Amino acid sequence: MSSPAHSPEPVERAKNRAEQEQIDATAKWPVLAFLGSGLFWLFVGGVMQLAASIQTHSPGFLAACEWFTHGRLAPAAQNALVYGWGFNAAFAVGLWLMARLSAAALRHGGWLLVAGKFWNVGVLLGVGGILGGWSASYELLEFPRFVVLLLLASYALIGVWMVTTFSVRNTENVYASQWYLFAAAFFFPWLYSIAQVMLFKAPVAGTLQAIVNAWYVDGIYALWFIPLGLAVAYYFLPKLLGRPINLYYTAALGFWWLIAVGVLLSGIRLINAPVPVWVPTLGIAASLLLVLPLIVIGLNLLGTLGRDFGKALASPTLSFVSLSVLSFLLWGGLTIVTSMRGVAAGFQFTLGPSGLDWLALYGCFSLAAFGAANFIVPRLTGREWASPALLKAQFWAAALGLGLFTVASLVGGFGQGALLNNPAITSGELSAALAPWLAARSVALMLLLVSHLAFLLNLVWAVCPINSGKARAAAFAPPPDLKPAAEARS
Amino acid sequence: MKNGLLIFLGLFVLAALSWAVVLLAPHRQYGALAPAVDPLDGLQHPYGTSGLANQGRLVYQDLGCVTCHTQQVRHGSADLDRRWGTRPSYARDYVKDGRVFLGSSRLGPDLRNVGARLGDTATPAEYAEWFHKLLYAPGSVGAHKPAHAFLYEVRPIRPGQASAKALHLSGSAAPAAGHEVVPTHRAEALVAYLASLKDTYEYPVEAQVNAPAGKKEGGH
Repeated sequence: MSSPAHSPEPVERAKNRAEQEQIDATAKWPVLAFLGSGLFWLFVGGVMQLAASIQTHSPGFLAACEWFTHGRLAPAAQNALVYGWGFNAAFAVGLWLMARLSAAALRHGGWLLVAGKFWNVGVLLGVGGILGGWSASYELLEFPRFVVLLLLASYALIGVWMVTTFSVRNTENVYASQWYLFAAAFFFPWLYSIAQVMLFKAPVAGTLQAIVNAWYVDGIYALWFIPLGLAVAYYFLPKLLGRPINLYYTAALGFWWLIAVGVLLSGIRLINAPVPVWVPTLGIAASLLLVLPLIVIGLNLLGTLGRDFGKALASPTLSFVSLSVLSFLLWGGLTIVTSMRGVAAGFQFTLGPSGLDWLALYGCFSLAAFGAANFIVPRLTGREWASPALLKAQFWAAALGLGLFTVASLVGGFGQGALLNNPAITSGELSAALAPWLAARSVALMLLLVSHLAFLLNLVWAVCPINSGKARAAAFAPPPDLKPAAEARS
Repeated sequence: MKNGLLIFLGLFVLAALSWAVVLLAPHRQYGALAPAVDPLDGLQHPYGTSGLANQGRLVYQDLGCVTCHTQQVRHGSADLDRRWGTRPSYARDYVKDGRVFLGSSRLGPDLRNVGARLGDTATPAEYAEWFHKLLYAPGSVGAHKPAHAFLYEVRPIRPGQASAKALHLSGSAAPAAGHEVVPTHRAEALVAYLASLKDTYEYPVEAQVNAPAGKKEGGH
């Protein structure tokens, strides 16, 4: 077991804990507000996603209402999930993590609350705008132009505190999670403003628009959501398991290589498209280079987890984080395989690519955010989660739902691709063959809604003062002491 | 890595590289691509669409048709065998398009040449009727897709003033007796846009570049 040399003195530990409590206190309201808004969108977006998915196998569903025609509902749902849930959750987890790791208080919480309100008003107007018929019809940039400045300005007011907290850090070292958080905070405004200029302000002509759009979509997944998911994993795995990251000295290599691949990857969305052929070729070459960061990050994170699956499953944080790491590795591996021209010809334009995007947004990022939230909320409110059963339901419904969605998208996608490439198959036969997979995706989305409902109930129970007399005050066990990897294995 | 400034600079270089390589380079390569002028008759190809079809493109955009339909015929694929086009799509086909809807999902068929789907023998009126039926009651032409009945007005026929534009529907799609189904302006614009979707012109330059290599002289 641990030797005294590696455990901090009790006095120091108490001091650390007091400092953490001070930092958490400054982060409490902004983080809870972002998380609450995120959950609202997770729920609204999830219901819309489910309805849109039902429409794919029962086209008559809600078809009579123009606002809910599939072409509007599906992008509105995706945007609600990305900008409503994804960004709010990223702000909540990112700000908290950055404050903790920089050992600095989160300053100007009032500004964050105001900016967060404006961000959510922007998302609301954007989603409503898509449903009302003002969609711009570029993937993930469908929001009408009148919300763009609102979103950028609110992002600036939120992101600046993430960066400020980092630059006033009271720590000497900069930890891996901070690199990833900083990279994500840096890349989003870059991607968003350039895409806006090149598509709307000074629009490029012809299929260049598709290149800009693919570059943005790739960036949102590979340079915003995935780094955020990894930041969470790099923080919680060593902290809760009590051992340092396996082969930590390689983590920087994995980071830079992953970002370098991410910025060049977008061409894989344009294979066989009417664009210069070097554009997809560059993307395919970049995707092959994903092998290295996958190995490095896999060794770092799975190596830290080791064989502690039982321990991971028992923890409401580690269970989600481990699944998020697996999703990331699966996303990377599948991205490489499906980018090969031969495979892509039977995979593109099917359900498959949306399954991969889902692995990045839901698998890598959202699961990590759930795991982090399960750790953060009790520390901010000072109250333990009310129901362990709901925590279990939240995890298993999410895991099953994500698994079913991925399998249905991939298997159904490859089947769809084979039929699409067979000219003897009519579109009627195609719809019939695809229906079971589309229905499976609807079931998967229902499971995810169950998971989100469990989370929401638990959160409302923990945060709202109703019943507070009975709620258990949280008694936090100190994190396990950090032991050298070799010793921890024994 | 301890130096925040170095991390920032590294990310900045990568972001600049990404923009320069992925966006700026193709823009320099073919950002100024112009329609081709036919050497024989001096006409431009593509020559752009009519005003009504341009309005229809906005309807296509606002209804999110791109969610389930691509507009690109792939080179050397089954797309040609499916008769989704007589030739692959070229970048030049899109230069007059305004907003480009390449799309990324084929839950429905490709629409790049849907304006030629019924063949050359069908008249424009037959095309319009087919598109209107596809939108109002997809089942009546054997399609499995959401109906867009909200683009049509079902109204009682005024005595002696039946609309010339009313759809000729039969079976379960037909309106109640004494009623007629009339397309709104948006439906007519959308149909004009769909009917305009056909890339039939063979550009001399592209055809040459993309033609299969001929047999080498003296080859075996």
